[in-house]
Amino acid sequence: MRELHYKISKQFKLKTVGIYIAAAMVVFISVFPFIWMFFTSIKPPNEIFTLNPQLLPHHTTLENYVRVFKGTMFSRYFLNSIIIAISTTVLGLSIAILGAYSLARFEYPGRHSFLLIILTVQMFPTVVLIIPLFVVMRQFHLLNTYYCLIIAYTTFTLPFCVWMLKGFFESIPKELEEAAMIDGCSRVGAFSKITLPLSAPGIAATSIFSFIGAWNEFMFALTFINKEVMKTIPLGLQAFIGRFAVEWGQVMAASVMFTIPSLIFFMVVQKYLTKSLFVGAVKG
Amino acid sequence: MASLKGYIKMRFQEIKRQKLAYLFILPTLSGVFLITIYPLFRSIWLSFHRYYIIELKKEVPFIGLDNYKYILYDPLFWLSFKNTIIFTFGCVLATMLIGLGVALLLNQDFRGKNFVAVTILLPWVIPKVAASIIWKWIYDDQYGILNYFLCSLGFHNFFDYGWLINSTTSLLAVMIVVIWQSYPFVAIALLAGLQTIPKTLYEAADVDGASSWQKFRQISLPMLKYLITILLILSTIWNFKLFTQVYILTEGGPANSTMILGIYTWRMAFGFLRMGRAAALAIIMFLILMIATVFYLRRIRKEEGIL
Repeated sequence: MRELHYKISKQFKLKTVGIYIAAAMVVFISVFPFIWMFFTSIKPPNEIFTLNPQLLPHHTTLENYVRVFKGTMFSRYFLNSIIIAISTTVLGLSIAILGAYSLARFEYPGRHSFLLIILTVQMFPTVVLIIPLFVVMRQFHLLNTYYCLIIAYTTFTLPFCVWMLKGFFESIPKELEEAAMIDGCSRVGAFSKITLPLSAPGIAATSIFSFIGAWNEFMFALTFINKEVMKTIPLGLQAFIGRFAVEWGQVMAASVMFTIPSLIFFMVVQKYLTKSLFVGAVKG
Repeated sequence: MASLKGYIKMRFQEIKRQKLAYLFILPTLSGVFLITIYPLFRSIWLSFHRYYIIELKKEVPFIGLDNYKYILYDPLFWLSFKNTIIFTFGCVLATMLIGLGVALLLNQDFRGKNFVAVTILLPWVIPKVAASIIWKWIYDDQYGILNYFLCSLGFHNFFDYGWLINSTTSLLAVMIVVIWQSYPFVAIALLAGLQTIPKTLYEAADVDGASSWQKFRQISLPMLKYLITILLILSTIWNFKLFTQVYILTEGGPANSTMILGIYTWRMAFGFLRMGRAAALAIIMFLILMIATVFYLRRIRKEEGIL
């Protein structure tokens, strides 16, 4: 009996060790590129361009960051990205909130087809849409402006935002609104005074996704923008590595600054990721 | 006739009663229409016309199926098609297997499990452009850390090896980046699925003396079947239309070894400015993707009963 117990516990220990080794490997593979990016960004060039790279920098320096701001248009790209991402979020959310509420609370002819359309358009390859959109934007002289990207990003994030918000609205009991309406509230009043404040966390999470979507986007920016002053960060970064001799220290410094907003927002909405996002994203 | 009139009147009244609902959905629908439905039809139209943006003449002549014919006789199309198939299935398979493995790992009880679950999501969170650039630095032939690693492990033939410059490894190198970014989503989704399986099922299996493998085959896998199908279809769709990572890492080169349909179509439109041909290519991609989408919609319609 004791022997058996010993055997089981030994097996158990072996399994636990295996689990920890596997977990450590997974974490290493996920995190190492980030660490490498960060440490490269604070190394001087002679520690970057060496045949014996060390993980930790010998001399820490912020020079790469200073050079990115002083020697390139990065601050301008940053500003462009912020303007476009914020406009997209505000515009997109105002449209999506109304649409999602309509789909969540009303039953009417056409609703099912609307849901189907919203699900289907997310599967369209961007390249199908980008060709005619380019032609249209060119006709209206919108290329190389903020408008073309704001319009494109707003509508591209719209289906996902509607789908996510619809889930949040549906999770708030209908009865609360009905009670308010019995007390003399109008439908719009009940919506804005009851449902909207109650779904604030959901709206915040959706806003963040919309912001990140616009912040990260590359293909539309690449197609619609070719003027240096109108470029967004991803486009600017791509130009950095397009050069013959790549200044990896500066490129990594710019990448760190580009990545940080996404990471911060991720920490904020992390709770929702495991719950609503996966349900929402798996559905649509 | 009277009944038709009555029917229309009834429908109209119904719409009037639901005024608010339609009013609210209107901006969403117009947005979706303007930026997705209209361009789709415009693309179909373009694909039957000769539209070479460099030519300054106003008219765009109708040329029937010539664009499609051109593409089907174009060897580069078939090469891109082959690459896309290899790329898509390779990425999907690896993403699913790694994702499932990690999900099973995270489903075990151990300390620091939540920490692992959050950290593995990091690659999925960072911008695709940033991820591609970091990996381009890791892959760098002279100063890249990957070659340094491999050399210090004793593989000296990797000294100065250009992962993205050699056409034998370029596609694989790009795929690794894409898999690195996409497996976390699959892993966490599958983990969520695993956690919904009732514990009692496993306890019953324990009583019957089932092995871990049997429990996995007979309980976990069948219970996750729906989720796995959905994730398979979704990652097929996502990888099939992929653009950004490949564009940043290789732009389709070297020697077209990473030329996939997304890049090829974009090149045709904005490199060669052959909008008509590009539209035809885009429509071919669209049709292939719609097959996958129909499967997807039929799956979730059955399970969720939403549509």
